[in-house]
Amino acid sequence: MKTKVSDAPLPENSQARDPLFPVLLLAIGAVTAWLLLTPWVPAVAQATMKRFHLRSRSFAAWALQAPIPAMYNFANQYEVRELPEDLIVSFLEPESNRRYINHFPLRVLTFADGRYRHLRPGKDRWVTVWTRYRGQQIKTVIHAKPVGGGGFEWIVQEAD
Amino acid sequence: MDGETAVSNPSESDDREHSVDDAATSRRKVVMAYRMVQIAVVAGLVWKGSFFRIADQVDGEIPLADPFFPDWARSASVVRWAYLVAVLTTLVGALIANRWGRLRTLAVAAAVASLSILCVHQATYNDATFTTSWWTQLWSFWFCTRMERDRPDRLLRRGAFAARAIGSMILIGGAVGKWTSEYWSGEVFYDIYFRERQYWTFNWVRGHFGPETLREIATWYSRGVVVTETVVGLGMWLMPPRAAATVGVVLFTSIALFSNHLLFSVMWCLIGLSAVGFLVPATPSSKP
Repeated sequence: MKTKVSDAPLPENSQARDPLFPVLLLAIGAVTAWLLLTPWVPAVAQATMKRFHLRSRSFAAWALQAPIPAMYNFANQYEVRELPEDLIVSFLEPESNRRYINHFPLRVLTFADGRYRHLRPGKDRWVTVWTRYRGQQIKTVIHAKPVGGGGFEWIVQEAD
Repeated sequence: MDGETAVSNPSESDDREHSVDDAATSRRKVVMAYRMVQIAVVAGLVWKGSFFRIADQVDGEIPLADPFFPDWARSASVVRWAYLVAVLTTLVGALIANRWGRLRTLAVAAAVASLSILCVHQATYNDATFTTSWWTQLWSFWFCTRMERDRPDRLLRRGAFAARAIGSMILIGGAVGKWTSEYWSGEVFYDIYFRERQYWTFNWVRGHFGPETLREIATWYSRGVVVTETVVGLGMWLMPPRAAATVGVVLFTSIALFSNHLLFSVMWCLIGLSAVGFLVPATPSSKP
């Protein structure tokens, strides 16, 4: 029977090599450095804004940022409309229902609660999201178009 | 001479016995630290279990064909299995914390892999539960590879240091993103929490104060969050282990307790990770 960890004898060499420890600290340090650069380097903030809008250069570039904590980051707003944004809408839906959301504003469509609330009726939806951070802003408009069988096509209508 | 030997021998024997007892206690603390962190991760992952069960159904019934995500990162079955594997392997890791080192390492590696999927899947990428759990399980992977190799006191000191470095990083992440006029003015928290969020703190405030005062409270609440995250984030990793553990446990608990009970899914693992600092043996030096 294998010895339990708690009963095992002490290792004689207490300075045994531990290559993973510096790797772990390096990863924490690298992410912290990236975070601390965010307010001072516009490109870093821009990368995070595009990350929030699912508009990074590629999925791989976006996924690489996944370990960077982003809880309640930046001023994110969203608006869900039943009609596309144009002149007619300004007459039919004059009241803006623009609201703040904590992070990753497109979660209003991708996360289960928003997906159910907005897409369950099976009709077209136009979602506009804005993210602002220290003078920078980006806006994305998504058209969720029903394609049958309960599914939707995700069409990026505007990205600036 | 004989008399001196007779006096000194029992003393040496006592020291040896004392150090053997300390070593056994430290060994138990190493296992306890690992098990405690795994249980905290499981608690966080299952905290919103009923939500994830319904989400599984919604993801299957309302697929979203966004070409940004590869097929596997949109698949409802991938996210379902990734979640189940993360929970089960972490649970297995907690159960076998004291033995079967290779299986334990394999279990935590599987947990890290499945949490990696959850961090980038279309249905779950926005949920910070998986980000904090991912960092905690990365820590666990390193920790469990050292459990039979390092001296327990050294491992616990290093473990606590890495744990508070992770806590600091998470808090700095929260702080930096809030260094904006919209958070400093309280505008964001007012809209998200104070206007209509059904939670005991906000219900109480709405029930006791008028709209103008409510807006002012939101401003000072928001500023309090920004300052606390900034100060503790920048300072926690420098604190002694037990002080950092106390600050971490109290702060991460209070974030969820006072703003949104669903945030416990994000916080349990950080609370468990912070608590590792309580297990560091008291020594003059607390360097990692």
